[in-house]
Amino acid sequence: MFDNREQLVGVSVQGTIVSPEYPPLPATPYVIGADGRPQLLPSQGGIVYNVRVGDTAFGWLADLVQPGVSIRASAEPANQALNVLSCLGNEAIVVSGMATGERGTVIGKSGRFAEHVIVHFAPETLEQLAIGDNVLVRAFGRSLALTDYTDVQLKSISPQLLDALEVEPAGPGVLTVPVAAEVPAFLVGAGSGLMHESGSIQIQTEHKSPLAEHGLDDLRLGDVVAVRDYDSRWGNGYLKDAVCVGVVVHGDSPRAGYGPGLTVIMASTANRIRPVVRGERNVAELLGLRGSVEAAA
Amino acid sequence: MRTNESSLVEVSVCGEVWPAAAARDPYKATSEGRAAVTLGMAGISFRNRVGDPAFGWEADHLEPGVSIRNRDDGAEHALHYLACMGNDAVVTSGACRGARGTVTGEHAHVLVDFPPSSIELLAIGDQVQIRAFGTGLALLGHPDVQLHKCSPRLLDALRLESAPDGRLQVPVVAEIPSHLMGSGAELMADYVDQDFMSGDRAEMARLGLDRLRLGDIVVVRDQDHTWGRGYYEGAVTIGLIIHGDSAWTGHGPGVLDLMSSRSPAIVTVDDPDANIAWRLGLRDPATESIREPGAVSSYAAIEKV
Repeated sequence: MFDNREQLVGVSVQGTIVSPEYPPLPATPYVIGADGRPQLLPSQGGIVYNVRVGDTAFGWLADLVQPGVSIRASAEPANQALNVLSCLGNEAIVVSGMATGERGTVIGKSGRFAEHVIVHFAPETLEQLAIGDNVLVRAFGRSLALTDYTDVQLKSISPQLLDALEVEPAGPGVLTVPVAAEVPAFLVGAGSGLMHESGSIQIQTEHKSPLAEHGLDDLRLGDVVAVRDYDSRWGNGYLKDAVCVGVVVHGDSPRAGYGPGLTVIMASTANRIRPVVRGERNVAELLGLRGSVEAAA
Repeated sequence: MRTNESSLVEVSVCGEVWPAAAARDPYKATSEGRAAVTLGMAGISFRNRVGDPAFGWEADHLEPGVSIRNRDDGAEHALHYLACMGNDAVVTSGACRGARGTVTGEHAHVLVDFPPSSIELLAIGDQVQIRAFGTGLALLGHPDVQLHKCSPRLLDALRLESAPDGRLQVPVVAEIPSHLMGSGAELMADYVDQDFMSGDRAEMARLGLDRLRLGDIVVVRDQDHTWGRGYYEGAVTIGLIIHGDSAWTGHGPGVLDLMSSRSPAIVTVDDPDANIAWRLGLRDPATESIREPGAVSSYAAIEKV
C-alpha cells in the first residue's frame, strides 16, 4: 500500500502544560449532570498521574479526563496550529524544565472542549514535569494520503500510526480497518457540527443500555473505533454509509451528550471504509507506549 | 392547562439590532467539500419571516426577522437566558421607536418578528427591549415535563391538552429522529438551539423534513433535553424551528428546546398547522402569500460522492 509520506513536511508546533481550569467567580465550579445534579470533578488539563492511555475510559471521577499531559499554546493562532497540525503518534519533546529532553507521544486532541493536545509520557517523566513546561511536537502527517484510496481521507494520523493500524485492501478504493468496536451514529453527541481537524466527537453515555448492546461499555483510552453512518470529511455529521475511524482520547462525563471522545483519523463515504471488529485495538499497544511488564499487570 | 404563571416575574432585557459579520477569509468547506461563502445570520432579514420555509434559501443558518444582541457580556447572557418565545418586544430608539414585535427564536442572536411595515426605517444599532416572562414556568399537572423558554402566551398557542392517560399531548408538524440531532449537543438545553443534521439530503426528502417551515413545532424522540442534550431511550423533546438550513456538516435547521421529559410523559398528535407564525397571530396565510417549501439550495443540490 503506497502513500505520499515522502512529500510531507515535518514542522514544529509547541504548547505548555496547562493547569486544570474553572470559570472565575461568580460562576460555580460544578458540572451539571444529565440528571440535573451538580458535581464537582477535576476538569481537563494538568498532569494526570494515574490515568494513562490503555486504561479504561469509564469510571473515573473526572469530567472528560485526558490521560497524561495536556498542552496548549498561549496565543490562539499558534494553538490552532498545535491542534490542527499535531498527529496521533507524533513525537513530543520536553524543551524546558526538569524533564528537558524527555520524549513522549501525541495521543489525542480535545478540540473545542478544551483546545488541548494530549501527550503520553513515561511515568518517570511525569514525575519531573511541571505545569508551564514547554512541550514541542514534531508535527508530521497532515495531508497524508493513500495513493490508491483517494476517497479515504486521513486526518491527524502519523505515518507510524497508519502503519500500525494494519489496514488492508478490500477491493477498488475500499479498505478494511481493524477496530476495537463500532459506534452507531445515534450515540454520537457533542462534537457534531464542530471542528473536525482538531477536536473530538463524543460517545454519549447518559443511557447505559445501548452502550452495552454495542460493546462500548468497556472501551479503553486509546482504543481504535469506527463510527457507522457518520461523515467526518469536511465536518462531523450524519450521513448514511459514511464511516469514520477515531481513537478514544478522553474519558467519560456525567453530562448529557458527552462521554468518551474520539479524535478522527480516517473518514470516507459509501462504505469505502469497512471496519473489522477485532477486540484489542489500542494505540498504547499499536505504538508500544506501555511496557510489556506493565501491560501484563 | 394549570401553570404557575401567577408566580413568575416579568423583567426587561434588551439588545440592539446587530450587524452581520464576515471573516476576512470567509470561505468554509460545505459538506461536499466545496468552498462557499454564505451569510444569513444577524442584521434585519427584510425578506424572511417566521412561517417561511426552513430550506431552499441561498443562506446559512438564516435568522428570520430582526437579530438582536447586547454588547455587554452579562446583559447578553441575560437576554439569551431570560427572553422566552412569544415574549413582547418593542423598539426603544431610532425612527421605529414604539414598533412592537414578538420573540420567535434564540440563536447566535435573539430573533424578533415585527410587522414589515413597522420596521421599514429600522437601523443597525437600534435598541429593542423585551418583556422577559416565562423563566421558571411549569405545568402543574405534568411534573415530569421541563419547560424551556416558553412564555405563557406561547403555551396557549401550542394547544396543549392532557391525553386520556394523563400524559401531556402536544400537536407537532413533524418528528425528527434522534440520530439527526447535531451541533448544539455540547450545550445546555437552556442555551440557544440544536441543529438537526441535513447533510444526508436523501434522508431529508425521505422523512419530509425538507418541507419544514421556520416556526414549526416538532418532536424529537429519544432525546433528553431536561438539562443538557443527549440520547435517552423513551425521552421526548418538543422543539421550535428557529433558523434555516446550513451547508456545513453536522448543521441544519435549528431546533430550540421548548419542553422535554426523560420519561415518556409527552405524547404528540400530527398537526400540519402547528407553527407559531399563525398560532401566535404573527402572519395569516389567508390574507398573505407565503412561499411554499420545495426550493433546493445550490449547496444541497450537489450529488453525494
